[in-house]
Amino acid sequence: MNDQSATLDQPAYLRFEPNQEVVPETATQLSIRHLDFFYGRAQALHDVNLEIKANAVTAIIGPSGCGKSTLLRSINRIYELYPDQRAEGEILVDGRNVLDRRYPLSDLRRKVGMVFQKPTPFASSIRNNVAFALSYYEKLSKAEIADRVEDALRQAALWDEVKDKLNQSALGLSGGQQQRLCIARTIAVRPEILLLDEATSALDPISTAKIEELIHELRERFTIMIVTHNMQQAARVSQRTAFFHLGELIEFGKTRDIFTNPRVPRTQDYITGRFG
Amino acid sequence: MTGSRVLQRKIVDAVALVFAGAATLFGLVWLFWILWTTLQQGIGALNPELFTQMTPPPGSEGGLLNAFYGSAVMILLAVAIGAPIGLAAGTYLAEQGRYTRLGAVVSFLNDVLLSAPSIVIGLFVYEIVVVSMGHFSGFAGALALAMILLPVIVRTSDEALRIVPDQMREAAFALGIPRWKVTSQILYKASLSAIVTGVLLGIARIAGETAPLLFTALSNQFWTSSLNQPLANLPVVIFQYAMSPYDEWHELAWAGAFMLMLFVLGLNIAVRLIVRRRKRP
Repeated sequence: MNDQSATLDQPAYLRFEPNQEVVPETATQLSIRHLDFFYGRAQALHDVNLEIKANAVTAIIGPSGCGKSTLLRSINRIYELYPDQRAEGEILVDGRNVLDRRYPLSDLRRKVGMVFQKPTPFASSIRNNVAFALSYYEKLSKAEIADRVEDALRQAALWDEVKDKLNQSALGLSGGQQQRLCIARTIAVRPEILLLDEATSALDPISTAKIEELIHELRERFTIMIVTHNMQQAARVSQRTAFFHLGELIEFGKTRDIFTNPRVPRTQDYITGRFG
Repeated sequence: MTGSRVLQRKIVDAVALVFAGAATLFGLVWLFWILWTTLQQGIGALNPELFTQMTPPPGSEGGLLNAFYGSAVMILLAVAIGAPIGLAAGTYLAEQGRYTRLGAVVSFLNDVLLSAPSIVIGLFVYEIVVVSMGHFSGFAGALALAMILLPVIVRTSDEALRIVPDQMREAAFALGIPRWKVTSQILYKASLSAIVTGVLLGIARIAGETAPLLFTALSNQFWTSSLNQPLANLPVVIFQYAMSPYDEWHELAWAGAFMLMLFVLGLNIAVRLIVRRRKRP
């Protein structure tokens, strides 16, 4: 990247690759309507309304504690593990409100995969990590499982590195490999939506670059939402960006517009590093 | 930094090192003294017959085979009873009951049971099992040991599961896997060595328990494989033989004590090895 044109007011990451100027108008995959979220009595999200488009990457940015992770954690209802947390409002996937308690959790979580900040390989072989959820959802023969495992590992750009040691412990992989294994494990069950919650913030730059490249490829098949602290990353990988501050959605639009021509002064202040 | 500051720090460091070393030595001295004394006093009985012959009548040679056997059987049976129940209760506390009132109550009651004097547990089992059956039995002994073991395993498996980071649970649940499968296939695997450590420490705890066995298994001069009869066991044999006036019995008691010490020491070393292996990435 050529940094000579970067100035104090306009960092290098605000310049865009030509391919990011075309943002395809795909169907809406996910509608978030009037979402409020509570940790006990503390309200973390206030009346969030957001439409997420299919087969595109939507970045959620904002300072720490602004509610961006909370938003992702609402979508697959993982917050339900903790009894003092609750969400109110609607999150529509294929026209059905997934926040409705009658919506089966295993259906939801099969449709909505999530990868977390810290790589969390299970204490088991690489193969078992990928096959674990797969064999719960589908009755597959050994050969079919092997195919699906290979397929998922290829999609996660990990196959070449692990194909000769599928039976070895996943704990022996490097941090970047572990995170790609977590992505493979998640996409093995063929979800529609992929939630990445600061999935690269614990990784070194090379692993981060690999995963960003991966996100570019996965976009063809999945609807991706990525929470990141790293604005360069948001600018690099996403087509649309939502800026959150203090639990409210401040601005949402095409990534290029948000980064080069924000309408709200607070967005401008954040992306130019005046606070955060 | 001035030279005197450096010197002062070096002196403080040396003094702290001496104290720490002395404290360590103080602890180790007793351990080796005990091992040495039991070895010295029991050396005469430490021979193959110790493991091949029964406890002798006064004035003749013998071994401790029936006592070793009885102790092993009762400990194994206690683990077979106490470990599954303890693991289940520990799992409840760590997973389902973590945020509930019932969980807090169970956890508190378990702490009470954990600190209950073992003689009370022995009396309790005496009252409900020995009295109603009309005689002492190995089964009653195993039950008393299981009740001592149970709260230890509840606590250690609860803690072992709590050490598994919440991120691991979230990652597993985010795949849509039901709770029983997450617990049995991911959380148990992640905490296996800590759970095994807890069981081994629990065994070390019950291996030397004497009071509860006095009221339940009592002892038996002769070989029996029946759990429905009084059963010989190492702690009670040590107790009886040490209190006796016969020199051969004294020697056997010392030899038994030495073996018991070795067993508990071995268990603790095994625990250290497991913990060290767990820490390796």
